[in-house]
Amino acid sequence: MGETAVLCEQVEKRYGANRALDGLDLTIPAGRVVGVLGPNGSGKSTLFRMITGLVRPDAGRIRVFGEAPGWRTNRDIAYLPDRARWYSDHTVQQAFRWAETFLPGFSLEEALGLAEFMKLPLDGRVRDMSRGQEARVMLILCIARRVPLIILDEPFTGIDTVSREKIIDALIDRVSDGERTVLISTHELYEVEALFDLAVFLESGRVIRSGDTDELRRQFGSMHSAMQTLYR
Amino acid sequence: MDERQVGSLTFRLDLSQPLYEQILKQMRSAIAKGEIALGEKIPSVREMAHALKVNPNTVSHAYQELERDGLTETRRGQGTFITTSRERVQQFRRELAERLLADFVAQMQSLGYTWDEIEHCLHTKKKEAAVHGRNGGAL
Repeated sequence: MGETAVLCEQVEKRYGANRALDGLDLTIPAGRVVGVLGPNGSGKSTLFRMITGLVRPDAGRIRVFGEAPGWRTNRDIAYLPDRARWYSDHTVQQAFRWAETFLPGFSLEEALGLAEFMKLPLDGRVRDMSRGQEARVMLILCIARRVPLIILDEPFTGIDTVSREKIIDALIDRVSDGERTVLISTHELYEVEALFDLAVFLESGRVIRSGDTDELRRQFGSMHSAMQTLYR
Repeated sequence: MDERQVGSLTFRLDLSQPLYEQILKQMRSAIAKGEIALGEKIPSVREMAHALKVNPNTVSHAYQELERDGLTETRRGQGTFITTSRERVQQFRRELAERLLADFVAQMQSLGYTWDEIEHCLHTKKKEAAVHGRNGGAL
């Protein structure tokens, strides 16, 4: 058994009467690409916020590389939040410079390469960008970091097919590099599901199914059909 | 079903079936059919993962299995190559044929066909193929 990237034991989080996480048990081994799947409101974003220490559990235990989430573990995490936005008066270049100063493991060289690859003008201001372009900026800030854990919450929303393919290529490179854990939540399964080593299906704040994607394919067919079967 | 080209190889990947098995099976059959020459270098795990748009771990797993089959060899610092042993590839091809044959016979027998009837069917099929041309003819 290798290292564990994320461990959750009976994790609970309530917002008023709503149980966002309701006894979540989960073990994510390091070095894998994991699809975190489920309908809206199943707890995916709350789980990601908890891994990055933005939300504390009401009960239960969560560990990231063996430690409680906090500033120390966050140096090892690149997190793309749901509906992420950037400073509207920044140009792409300025955003990258900011990242170089403040984000541990950020590689300017990689970011510039990705920007060229995704056809982002470096002197373009965020406020003048389309949603898709801004999403690409946010994604680059994340995947240009050499850190052990990358968390992408709905990275493909508002991104066209060509850019999606480029993002997937960039992710394949990151994974080929070696020991890197990637968590991806997405509703756009078709393009990305071949990238998952493992899939975790959430419903009402609990894991209802998880496992090796090839094993799940044997049982359910594609991850898309697995979703249709599990959330009928 | 997606068709993807990697050098001289064509892969058909179906997301509703285990990907590792499909990659392994299609590589094995390309080698058995001689679509990749003896001693030829095969794409690196990273190149293959990019071309197929799949997880590099999946490709790497399939490559390990090919090496276990004795169909490929990894040379340190140089990459992975198809074996130079014609004998090994021929033996593997015979094993594949043996498995297909065993499946065919088992299925015919489960339909109630005897050995003589199976033999008769094969003869008829062969004659039909000769009439309809080299591809075995339309059904």
